[in-house]
Amino acid sequence: MNPPRFEYYAPTGIEEIVGLLKKYGDDAKILAGGQSLLPLLKSRVVTIPCLISLSEVRGLSYIDERKDGVHVGAMTVDSDLEFSDIIKKHFPLILDCASQVADPLVRNTGTIGGNISHADPSNDFPSVMLAIGAKFVVQGESGTREISAEDFFVDTFETSMKHDEVLKEIILPYWGSNSYGAYGKFKKGTWNFSVAGVAVQLSMESGKINKAGIAITSMGPKAIKCTEAEKYLAGKKPDDSVLKHAAELIVGASQPSEDQYGSEKYKKEILRRLSIKTMGKAIKMDGGN
Amino acid sequence: MDLSEKFVKGNGTFVDDIHMPGMLYLGFVRSPYPRAKIKKISGGITHKDVNFDIAAVGEGSEEEQTFSSTAHPVLAKDFVGYVGQPVAAVYSTDPYEAEDLIDSVEVDYEPLPGISDPEKAIDFEPINPASKSNVIVDRYFGKEFPDNVGDVVIEGRFVNNRIATNPIEPRGIVTAYDGDKLTIWIGTQSIYSIKSGICEAMHLPAEKVRVIQTDTGGAFGLKGGLFPEYVVAAWLAMKEKRPVKWIETRREHLMASRPGRGAIAKLKLYADRSGKIKGLKGEVLVDNGAFTGGSGEFSPAFIAMQLAGAYHLENAYVRARSVLTNKAPQGPYRGAGRPEAMFFIEKMMDHLADKLKMDPVDLRLKNAAEERYRSPLGFEVEPSKKFLEAAIKETGYRELSKKYNTGFSFLILYHATSGGESARIQVKDGRLKVWIGGNAHGQRHDVFSKTLINEELGVDESLVDFQLGDTDQIPAGIGAWGSRSAMVAGSAVLMAARMLREKVEKKYGKYSLNHLLGEEWDAYHNFEYSKMESSLGVNVVTADVDDLGKVKIRDCISYYDAGRVLDPANAAGQIAGGSVQGISQALYEELAFDEDGQPLTSSISDAGVATADLLPKFTIKYYKSESTLPSKAKGIGEAPTIGVPIALSRALEKAMGREFNETPIRPELLLRETAVQ
Amino acid sequence: MVENRHISITVNGERKEADVEPRMLLVHFLREIAGSTGTHVGCDTTNCGACTVLLDGRAVKSCTILAVQADRRKITTIEGLSKEPGKMHPVQKSFVDNHGLQCGYCTSGMIISAYWLLKHKKNVSEQEIREAISGNLCRCTGYDNIIMSIKDAEKRMEEEGDTLEEEQAVTVRK
Repeated sequence: MNPPRFEYYAPTGIEEIVGLLKKYGDDAKILAGGQSLLPLLKSRVVTIPCLISLSEVRGLSYIDERKDGVHVGAMTVDSDLEFSDIIKKHFPLILDCASQVADPLVRNTGTIGGNISHADPSNDFPSVMLAIGAKFVVQGESGTREISAEDFFVDTFETSMKHDEVLKEIILPYWGSNSYGAYGKFKKGTWNFSVAGVAVQLSMESGKINKAGIAITSMGPKAIKCTEAEKYLAGKKPDDSVLKHAAELIVGASQPSEDQYGSEKYKKEILRRLSIKTMGKAIKMDGGN
Repeated sequence: MDLSEKFVKGNGTFVDDIHMPGMLYLGFVRSPYPRAKIKKISGGITHKDVNFDIAAVGEGSEEEQTFSSTAHPVLAKDFVGYVGQPVAAVYSTDPYEAEDLIDSVEVDYEPLPGISDPEKAIDFEPINPASKSNVIVDRYFGKEFPDNVGDVVIEGRFVNNRIATNPIEPRGIVTAYDGDKLTIWIGTQSIYSIKSGICEAMHLPAEKVRVIQTDTGGAFGLKGGLFPEYVVAAWLAMKEKRPVKWIETRREHLMASRPGRGAIAKLKLYADRSGKIKGLKGEVLVDNGAFTGGSGEFSPAFIAMQLAGAYHLENAYVRARSVLTNKAPQGPYRGAGRPEAMFFIEKMMDHLADKLKMDPVDLRLKNAAEERYRSPLGFEVEPSKKFLEAAIKETGYRELSKKYNTGFSFLILYHATSGGESARIQVKDGRLKVWIGGNAHGQRHDVFSKTLINEELGVDESLVDFQLGDTDQIPAGIGAWGSRSAMVAGSAVLMAARMLREKVEKKYGKYSLNHLLGEEWDAYHNFEYSKMESSLGVNVVTADVDDLGKVKIRDCISYYDAGRVLDPANAAGQIAGGSVQGISQALYEELAFDEDGQPLTSSISDAGVATADLLPKFTIKYYKSESTLPSKAKGIGEAPTIGVPIALSRALEKAMGREFNETPIRPELLLRETAVQ
Repeated sequence: MVENRHISITVNGERKEADVEPRMLLVHFLREIAGSTGTHVGCDTTNCGACTVLLDGRAVKSCTILAVQADRRKITTIEGLSKEPGKMHPVQKSFVDNHGLQCGYCTSGMIISAYWLLKHKKNVSEQEIREAISGNLCRCTGYDNIIMSIKDAEKRMEEEGDTLEEEQAVTVRK
């Protein structure tokens, strides 16, 4: 299983990349870590005449604390997030998620930018970005623009980036010092896609949920933000019945379909139980409570 | 160099590591349809070039029966019977390009409805135009008996779904031809199966073919026999007089190698109120796949004949069938009929115990064979009660079952000892070279060979160089499968060592190490053995299920009669490895198909090969005994794949309060109705 | 027509240069061009880890990286793990002594993963080892002896003063 022939470009500047995207149109695709793209090519289910690699562009791999939030370069690999003190301090949700992506070896190659831009509904970071309310900096011909996570994910393998735009940076706005998060992922085996995933981001104030960000993975054509559950949780003291009801709202937002991993009913039940567990895990981190 | 040292340094020579100048790389055009007529093929090597069939070789082929009309063509002729069936071949000097060329061959198919469900295939239109029916084997074992032999009846339908063998090294072959002799390098369990298979398929005389074993990266039954791709590789080397390489991709492995299991039983077990079993009746059905040449011809009988388990059974009547389906031919996978048979009888024993409100272990004690006898189904059952009593004690079953969800399985493992095995020892320049007939693929036969030689001849192990198989160096032998090697290959090595001792004694009046190492000697011994041996085993598994349906295994205990344990580290490794395969059969592994036979499993992970993070630690204990063979060993390689799925499945029945009669257990069935939060 | 690209990869300390097709996978560069046949191909789908090597100090699966992506970077394969030629690295030695392998096919990848784990984590628990090798499939051993080997290797590396490589392994590259 080897890839078919393709043309390959690895320019050093992002402007050049944008230029190549424009030139080759639909024939071109960006190569980041390649952990999703290369298996597709190797299985020869897709052919891509032209690959444009980000590997030679300097300065796309960083995790920085800035005024408006943590800024993460698109080429930052999953294991960098997993081991980052900055991430640990501000976004335990990302740390929790990063340590559950595929396996430790893939996490040394897979990038956050690739994970997000690929927009596979089974990828873990899209729901995490929705829960946090991340913003994506994309660069195109006429410069950069910001797209909110909510506007970014359009459909399976489809984002609101234009064809000649590249994801450059992820901005994670701060949630305050009393914020916590957890990622729940249920899969049959280490290397299977998840049956269900749920990202939970909370800010707490004297034992009450101040603000909640919740989104789900593998539960429909794209990562889904659970707005009803978020609204319901805001201002609530998270006791068992509140979490149970929130889990019902999360399941209400899901649109799973039957496949080799199970029926719709099964997947919804897994999501319900996983949601309660994951919200509980995030709340438990609020030591002051 | 020590074998382990070679591998940890990356210095092994697996078949894909062989490079030769001018090498051609093969690629195969494969059927995308489960069933179709072939109207036209444009391009590539086709059946018009390579017009041969694959005959059954390897494990289980002793039985005489021919299935010429359903034999697997090397390349498809006028129809295809499964997705992945080789239709044409292409080649290039570059492996990437060989893969590109696959698309250049055009095949005009007329798709036909296929059938993947073996039970439905019985009455489906014949999928092979040459057969009148899809049922290719239909035999009865035992004798009909009246239903009133017992007071209670347990009835059930039991299923072991298909599993891909999935060694981490896929199949592969290198062939070369010098104008006179064809040489084959291959990772295999038997250089002799490959040689006789090639000679038979291509009508070549034995002296024109040499087969050399390369380091073999796991096999588990897969690498025992001949495959269509090997014949094409041999043909192309002879035609082009250039070396040829073919390496299987994992996708090809999942579609078109020979998966194991794939058996269904519908059985009734009769017993009296005290729990004494009185009779067994029903049928076994094997999912043969589209062609013969695998093991589907033999496995229905092999399964049926073992169905008495380790118990005393007076009455039995079992119909055993094999049916053509639109899938790759079934083949042996670690256990090869043994795990299926024991799963069927042991499930019924557990359910009978439930019905009689007995502890399943007490029911087993009541029915264990007290004396050796021949079961009405055909196989001899050894006395099993004493072993069972010891196993209950040594595994701590009674205590464990009070505290945890505990499953217990009792197995009899029939070793494929018949046919014996060969060995050759050559002494030269003060060192020994050893060849044995069966070809190891991770069982380090070098260690037991060195131990036995050291004991017999006093030769230091560092002076012994263990050799991989080569038909020019050791002309006859059988193969490594069926838990046989420590028994028959071990005995062959020991007997060859004894021959050397006798040769030295004959020349010098008495044996001395100096005489042995001081000159050149050569001893070849064909250890003839016609009996099928057996040994007993017990597995105990305790497990729980969390509120998301995840299984947590607490204990996985093996208690086996291994006879003399020749290589304790390897025996433990074999048992742990086999236990993982048992666990993953019960929980994860399956090759899934849609109704027509379109495969749904596309990666090794989808196929369910288990990762380390999902698994427990294993506890291993032995029953002390010796076999009557010269090596005194009893094989255990297949014991865990037989016993562990049963014991785990039972532990989960206890955890969930329901029956599990199928492997793998569907995750949905492991979700408790009311979740404990 | 796709043009070949000239690349240079440092494999086990030696520079290997070649003109390659952009589609060539790193594992094939290592096996065919650098001659490191100890790196194996098992599953083709990034699952089994038989192709694991160190890329700039981190364990990665070389079947899912293009050779051109590794241009001007450093690779360590199983053949280059030991600093002294002919001698075994403590991880290799402990796999031999604890029978941490059977058929030997997954072994190179398993050892590279174990090495990377021991280079970036201290006092690893059994569960941490199990998770660290969850990207490496072994069909023979049942993992028990592999886990034992890795625990033993940690001890041996400590004794030999083979320390953590924090900087190389876990710092974000700017």
